[in-house]
Amino acid sequence: MRSIRRELLVWLLVGLLAAVAVAAIGTYLRAREEANQLFDHQLREMVASLTGAPFAAAPAGLGDSDAAGNTLVVQIWDRNGMQLYLSQPQRVLPQHAQLGFTNLRTESGEWRVFSALTGSQVIQVAQPMRERRELAASMALRTIVPLLIVLPVLGLLIWLIIARGLKPLERVAAAVARRSPTQLEALSERDLPREVQPLVQALNGLLQKLGEALAAQRTFIADAAHELRTPLTAVHLQAQLAERAATDVERRTALADLKAGLERATRLSEQLLTLARTEPGVDAAERTAANVDLSALAREVIAELAPLATEKAIDLGLSEGGSAAVRGDREALRTLLSNLVDNALRYTPPRGRVDVALGPEGDRVALVVRDNGPGIAPSERARVFDRFYRSQPATVPGEAAQGARMRGSGLGLAIVRRIADRHAAEIALGEGLDGKGLGVTVRFPAV
Amino acid sequence: MRVLLAEDDPMIGASIRQGLRQDGFTVDWVEDGRAAELALAERAHDAIVLDLGLPKRAGLDVLGAMRRSGDTRPVLILTARDAVADRVAGLDAGADDYVVKPFDLNELSARLRALIRRGAGRAAPVLAHGEVELNPATREVRLRGEPLALSPREFALLEALLTRPGAILSRAQLEDKLYGWSDPVESNAVEVHIHALRKKLGADFIRNVRGVGWMVAKVPASA
Repeated sequence: MRSIRRELLVWLLVGLLAAVAVAAIGTYLRAREEANQLFDHQLREMVASLTGAPFAAAPAGLGDSDAAGNTLVVQIWDRNGMQLYLSQPQRVLPQHAQLGFTNLRTESGEWRVFSALTGSQVIQVAQPMRERRELAASMALRTIVPLLIVLPVLGLLIWLIIARGLKPLERVAAAVARRSPTQLEALSERDLPREVQPLVQALNGLLQKLGEALAAQRTFIADAAHELRTPLTAVHLQAQLAERAATDVERRTALADLKAGLERATRLSEQLLTLARTEPGVDAAERTAANVDLSALAREVIAELAPLATEKAIDLGLSEGGSAAVRGDREALRTLLSNLVDNALRYTPPRGRVDVALGPEGDRVALVVRDNGPGIAPSERARVFDRFYRSQPATVPGEAAQGARMRGSGLGLAIVRRIADRHAAEIALGEGLDGKGLGVTVRFPAV
Repeated sequence: MRVLLAEDDPMIGASIRQGLRQDGFTVDWVEDGRAAELALAERAHDAIVLDLGLPKRAGLDVLGAMRRSGDTRPVLILTARDAVADRVAGLDAGADDYVVKPFDLNELSARLRALIRRGAGRAAPVLAHGEVELNPATREVRLRGEPLALSPREFALLEALLTRPGAILSRAQLEDKLYGWSDPVESNAVEVHIHALRKKLGADFIRNVRGVGWMVAKVPASA
């Protein structure tokens, strides 16, 4: 597993070592140059000091210095090239040399040689380059040794500082780990380093969205349970009446009522399931979008609902104004159409009229379902898309039996809204037919 | 006993009305808060069964207005919301009892009878007057311990009279107890039923105050 701490430590140490190496090389090069100048100067002085001196005097001192490692080799020739003096006979150096400074490569290493003509003699002093390098190397070493000693200390320091820097992350991790699934309040953003803050803010954003989604789910379940209780109460009472029935006629009536109550409860639970299925995010990915011909779908839905229209003697019809192809989920669109038409039929009184119109409208496809029922007051229009909201048609006591048939689950339009949202369609509520009733317009993006 | 039922769900309303009728109540059913207030203004009902989730005017508002106007008739609330807060709000607004949906018809009837009984200042479930005993729950009437067969209308009349001994009930008041809004009122029906009751209970049990109405004596005549 990757570790920020380990990576930082390794790379910082590598960087430091590189810096130390560069420093060492730099020191070495500079020290060597300085040593060159110094020793060259020394060679020149040496030659100068030997000029005119009786050559027999020199060798003793120079020979001593050999033991100390200051290996100077002195040769003196006369004008004719006769060697007059050689300080260290075992050393092999060229007999003749250019005047001035030269570098010589021999079997015993590289030498720095200075030759000068003084009077009748040529004096040559040679010194191994190795000495200069050793001096430079020791200077360079002296520079980097303290750095190398400090390096482990630095490493430890880096290790500790990183640990300290990462503490807030551990704190956040612990705070998240301690949470139960219901604890969705925001994490504290206090005392957080700037680097960790975006993470915590993002986490808090997610927590908030999760909280909202959970609250929405809870409301939905509570609403659903509440809504189911009404039809279940009715079924409960109807069953009890059937139980109490004294005569066959009474029992038959009671059982017919019970059946109607069960149908209502069934329809509501089906609607709840549909609504749960259209919940945003739920298996939306699995649904494949296809080109759907709304006209064909509308004809199917109208054929399905025709019996209900016939029963109430409602004039149900479709008018088409051109291509009505949209992209979307065929089954969801069928539910949308079916809910709109069913709603219109439910709320329109007998012998009313329900029109379904389909056609292009600019770059969109418009679906309009209009009826001449009681309609919805403009003030109520925004609310009818809320789950479980029912508009209140005026009912007179005694019309109860018919009212029961008219009543919807309060979910139809909420489902329509969900499906429309998923298809990027707009919904508008307006007037229906003959200046009354309800008109629902859904505008889909055209294919 | 005549009961006002305010319930907006058609199926629940129809079932309660039928169930309460079977238990001997006369039931008038309204489906929204405003209709409930109009019906309350008639003062014809002995008790009110009130759903809290009424359209047009919420049940709690209807109840509050009723209590503010000095109307002390017993109110039983129906609530689909079993949240304690709703019940507390209902009881604090002046309700006498509640049932939580889904509820049992027998329980609803029993609670209504208890409320009406308490409203009349009695704790005992059986109305006893001298040698006559009337049990609203079992719809049994006994004379000197012997069961007596009464028609539903006769039972309703006797119950109305026994609920407030000493009070004179007019023919209109008695008709109110017998008929809901949708029932056709038969002329002379009250006299016919009173006559039948007198035959069964003795001529003196129900007294006629000419031009005013009928009553049972406040203190039962010692046998």
